[in-house]
Amino acid sequence: MTIYSFIVIYPLISSLVLSLYRWPGVGERVFVGLQNFRTIFTGAFRTELFNAFFHNVYFFVLNTSLELGLGFLIAIMLASKIRGAKIFRTLTFIPNMIPIVIVGFMWRLFLNPQVGLVNQFLQTVGLGGLARPWLGDADLALTTIIFVNVWRNLGFYVLVILAAILDIPNELFEAAYIDGANNRKVVWRIIFPLTFSTFRTLAILLFIWSFNIFDMVYALTGVQAGPFRSTDVLGTLFYRTAFGGLGAAAVDMGLGASITVFIFAVVMPASILYVYLAERRQRGA
Amino acid sequence: MLRLNRFETILFYALLIIYCLIILVPFGNMLMNSSKSLREIYMTPFGFPESFMTQNYVQAWQRGNIGTGYRNSALVAGVSVVSIVLLSSMFAFSISKLKFGMRRFFFMYSMLGLAFPARLAIIPIFLLMRSVGLTNSLIGLVIIYVAVNIPFSVFILKNFIDGVPNELAEAATIDGATPVQVYWNVVMPLVKPAVSIVAIVSFVNIWNDFFFPLVFINDRSKATITLAISTFFGEYGHQWHLLFAGLVLAIAPTIIMFVIFSRQFIAGMTQGAIK
Repeated sequence: MTIYSFIVIYPLISSLVLSLYRWPGVGERVFVGLQNFRTIFTGAFRTELFNAFFHNVYFFVLNTSLELGLGFLIAIMLASKIRGAKIFRTLTFIPNMIPIVIVGFMWRLFLNPQVGLVNQFLQTVGLGGLARPWLGDADLALTTIIFVNVWRNLGFYVLVILAAILDIPNELFEAAYIDGANNRKVVWRIIFPLTFSTFRTLAILLFIWSFNIFDMVYALTGVQAGPFRSTDVLGTLFYRTAFGGLGAAAVDMGLGASITVFIFAVVMPASILYVYLAERRQRGA
Repeated sequence: MLRLNRFETILFYALLIIYCLIILVPFGNMLMNSSKSLREIYMTPFGFPESFMTQNYVQAWQRGNIGTGYRNSALVAGVSVVSIVLLSSMFAFSISKLKFGMRRFFFMYSMLGLAFPARLAIIPIFLLMRSVGLTNSLIGLVIIYVAVNIPFSVFILKNFIDGVPNELAEAATIDGATPVQVYWNVVMPLVKPAVSIVAIVSFVNIWNDFFFPLVFINDRSKATITLAISTFFGEYGHQWHLLFAGLVLAIAPTIIMFVIFSRQFIAGMTQGAIK
């Protein structure tokens, strides 16, 4: 048994871990030292890199506040004495079962300025003035992508937070009500503090995931991340650089690899924190 | 459980119904548009279809390679999940119940993989796969998915196997059971819930993945469902009636599966993510 796991699993894991650590600058088979990093941090590439990086940051901030804020709100509603909560619970999770890239393509049709569902709907309810070329407007496109992302993922956050709320012993609620607490107090003095560790875990995961988004942008605005790179993120920049694509500032595996090292450096503190917390929780449990 | 007064109950219902409409209306619209003619979509994108055009589905199925996509996705996901469950449960069993040095080291080693998104290693993986001729191959995808999903699976399974009392394993050993028998006959039946979490989460992850097929597969006959839809959109960009029909075909089975097994899926996905 032990032998078996050594022979089969050990190489698998080691290849995974090795691939994470190996100096990836070997792409073009010429050792260039830190040259790749000098390239991505200077000149035209620097502009692209930081453009994409700040889009990731924006994505993280807005996406996280929406997912966790709305997630908490809806989870509280579903944790109340309310009929049909189970049905709502199932419904909220449906978009989560669909591949991100397919959700992206779906919404590309809905967000079409002329015949898409969204603008048609606004016109029907008399808000035609709000109709926009959602993905065609450089100021709006990234925010639109974030909203589509929230539409797809919110159910997951709702259900994780809901599970944490339902773990709270009911006696705490009973006691609070007997002491005359109103619902607002129950939410902020009992539910929020007792689910805080869940929020912390989710925020760390959201941070890591935010710097790895790719599918949604690819499906909604393509690998060129238009209009005018206004939706470019590190994932699409990396893809263009490593595997080619019209209009890439440079096509080179080594350069691509140095972008992943950059992403890696950004998410590493969060990753370490996550593993540390997970291991501590496991030992505590 | 929060107790609500009448005002709060009405407010909560209203908000929840709005939220569910936001989720459901797009699906409904997609379904309706998928059976319209292209002209009708442009004229009345909102209304019910005048006549139900089944040929949209037939065309989308053929041109979109959706059948092939399904077969490949099911094959890759199925083989990967079985391997993941077997390999990671053996590994978890070894580091949890067998006594040998460096157990802790192996555990931490596997946890490293949990912390770092495998996408960041795509270039070394790509070069490695190319050097052994496994690019543009479903076997290559299976190997990658197995490696990528093992850390998380080991973590979940070890958690559960730690909960199986050592006395049980020792008693079986005294009765003459080999470690393999202890693993298969004693421990595995007791950790079935963990196995189902691992199986569900990894299946959904693999089924939904787009990045690895995009990078590795360039043959149409080997496209997974996500890649097939992406190609279809690239080729039929303005044939909306076909696109909608293709989307419906790509999504429907997943949703039907989910509605039937929603309890298991929800439990698996939410527990799997946070543990």
